[in-house]
Amino acid sequence: MSTEQDEDLRLLRESVSTLLERAGGVARARRVRDDGAGWDGAIWSDLAEAGVLGVTTPEETGGLGMGLPAAGVIAEEIGRVIAPEPVVPTVAMAIGLLHRLCPDASLLEDTIAGAAPLAVAWQERDARGVSDVIDCRLKDGVLTGSKDWVMGLADGAPLLVVAKSTDGLALVRVAGDAIGVTKQTARQSDGSVLTSISFAATPAEVLAEGAGVAPALADAVADATALTAAELVGVSGSALELTLDYIKTREQFDKPIGSFQVIQHRAVDMKIMQEVAQAAVREALAAMENAATPQARSRQASRAKARACVASQKITREAIQLHGAVGYTDEFDVGLLLNRALVLSAWLGDGAYHRRRWLELRDTEEVAQ
Amino acid sequence: MTDWNALSDAEFRTQIRSFFEAEYPEELRHLPHRPKFAEVEHWHVKLHAKGWVAPAWPAEFGGMGLEAAKLMIYYEEQQSYGVNRGRDMGIQMVGPLIIKYGTQEQKDYWLPRILSCEDIWCQGYSEPGAGSDLANLRTSAVIDGDDFVINGQKTWTTMAHDATHIFMLVRTDPDAPRKQQGISFILAKMDQPGVEVRTITTLAGETEFCEVFFDDARTLRANLVGEIDKGWSMAKALLSFERIFIGNPGLAQNALAQLETFAKGRGAFDDAVFRDRFATVALDVEDHAALYSRFADQLKRGETLGADVSMLKIWVTETYQRITELMIEVAGPDGGSLGPLQAGNVGVDVLASFYKARPSTIYGGSNEIQRNILSKAVLGL
Repeated sequence: MSTEQDEDLRLLRESVSTLLERAGGVARARRVRDDGAGWDGAIWSDLAEAGVLGVTTPEETGGLGMGLPAAGVIAEEIGRVIAPEPVVPTVAMAIGLLHRLCPDASLLEDTIAGAAPLAVAWQERDARGVSDVIDCRLKDGVLTGSKDWVMGLADGAPLLVVAKSTDGLALVRVAGDAIGVTKQTARQSDGSVLTSISFAATPAEVLAEGAGVAPALADAVADATALTAAELVGVSGSALELTLDYIKTREQFDKPIGSFQVIQHRAVDMKIMQEVAQAAVREALAAMENAATPQARSRQASRAKARACVASQKITREAIQLHGAVGYTDEFDVGLLLNRALVLSAWLGDGAYHRRRWLELRDTEEVAQ
Repeated sequence: MTDWNALSDAEFRTQIRSFFEAEYPEELRHLPHRPKFAEVEHWHVKLHAKGWVAPAWPAEFGGMGLEAAKLMIYYEEQQSYGVNRGRDMGIQMVGPLIIKYGTQEQKDYWLPRILSCEDIWCQGYSEPGAGSDLANLRTSAVIDGDDFVINGQKTWTTMAHDATHIFMLVRTDPDAPRKQQGISFILAKMDQPGVEVRTITTLAGETEFCEVFFDDARTLRANLVGEIDKGWSMAKALLSFERIFIGNPGLAQNALAQLETFAKGRGAFDDAVFRDRFATVALDVEDHAALYSRFADQLKRGETLGADVSMLKIWVTETYQRITELMIEVAGPDGGSLGPLQAGNVGVDVLASFYKARPSTIYGGSNEIQRNILSKAVLGL
């Protein structure tokens, strides 16, 4: 990577981090959680103004035209303060799909400009969990079927849906007040909400249809997966920092507990996990930019998520342990980080899921060679 | 003389690689043990003729004068082609020591002999009472006329039974207020009365390590390197490059390839549990390499490495061990059997790999010592 790019990334990191710190940092995440507001509309606009939502899209669409590593920088900073705004889902899924499939849609430009978060519904549930196939059907302009695990859907907001059509897959928009929509929400450990939706002859506006949708979806999901990994790196980085501060100041037996070797070695192991995760996720994002095949791209995404899930969960759990009893209280921020790590790890597949996927993709590539 | 640093990285890599491919003896690739000099002499002669024995030394002393970026490439190619480093203690340690701290006479006399391997060196650091706590060393060197008289014992001296000379840390001032003071660097001949070498048999059944006993052995005072009583800081300065090299991904990558071959031959990839464990260690290796490149890039930009580079050694050696442990699991009821185990149409010596991985968390500063260093120097605890 050239130094000029490094410098661009550094400036981007600084501006996003300043914006989020000024907004209130981790304390703001707690406030939003307690209010049950989901996220903060004013901060969403500020983020859009800073170029965050269009980081990967070309300048013609109002974007910054930077690559995935830049989006990764943003995701890390979002994770660091556990900002509740659905930045990664909107950037990677909604904007990612619109940009690939209908770059001229005004919806793309509006979303990048910060109109509102835009949720995408594509996953479906079967008896074992996430289904491999999309069953929700688009026929004669109406949708029928169910979607699950929709992240970042506000009450009464429109959303994008990927459905099966007569010609492969279709990307459609469903209005916020469309008829035939039943929603069920599940509150998650960090205060965010996942929505499951059923459509019964719900009118939908077709944005794209045909052979291009499936590969665009695969790429968008890979991006979302890797950027969620980057967000997790931010979360665990914060947990590590909090813990180091704590063990340097908390005294027992008339000494800071960080002077005890057993604590020191555990802290070192957290640090190593954090550095390996950060290096791996950043390398994976850079490799995805230049991936020769969609499989290679997905494999890097799975590599990133597998690592980030393991590291963030281990680090946040260790953080609780090293805080001792206060780590188990809701009052201390370290618990918020653990809760965020749980949610982000579960979304789009956990460590075990992505290790399995990584190995399958590796096998496929080996056969292809 | 070629200015290697003027070549592009890619061109340099190609030249190194083609030379190894053309000249390196096939039977010495990925050698599983440390060879005696006689075993690799024919290769050393070629390397010496090419002028490539000492990639890191400045050209004026007969080295290649490589800058950090090129040096990393040299070592990467050496490792990936399975080129044995030979008896390189003289090249890696003694040469740099003399170049940095030696007198003109010492440079003129010793450096050419190191390059030609006329002298083969071993390293006398550890002692029975000075392992992790190296500064606790007691082997003494007392001035007697033109000589030092040496008494004491060194241990874990790698390949001392195949060395002509030893470079050693000795105590020259037993009354210094701190144990790090009063330590000096001296060079001595192995073949003399008062030096006795005994090999140590390891768990792997090998005899690469030795104990060296000194009983009124002698060396000239002229063989003191640097200032007397100042050896400790010199020894620490010498380890700077060693610290990234010891954390390089090579050993773990080779072990992973071996695990994959063995597991394929035994059909282990049909088992979901094994698949997960394989993916775990494979990603441990791949992700370590990402962190390694970050440090290597730092070196390539000409920056010095901080204490945080120790993270590499901890991660890679522990991963390396887990890989070999997984091989034993794949072996199932053969897991206690010595020698190559059949897997498909190849034989894999599982226990040899397992044993080889064990000391990696002990040598070069045990992983516990590395954690102490990181805790203090990086985390500020």
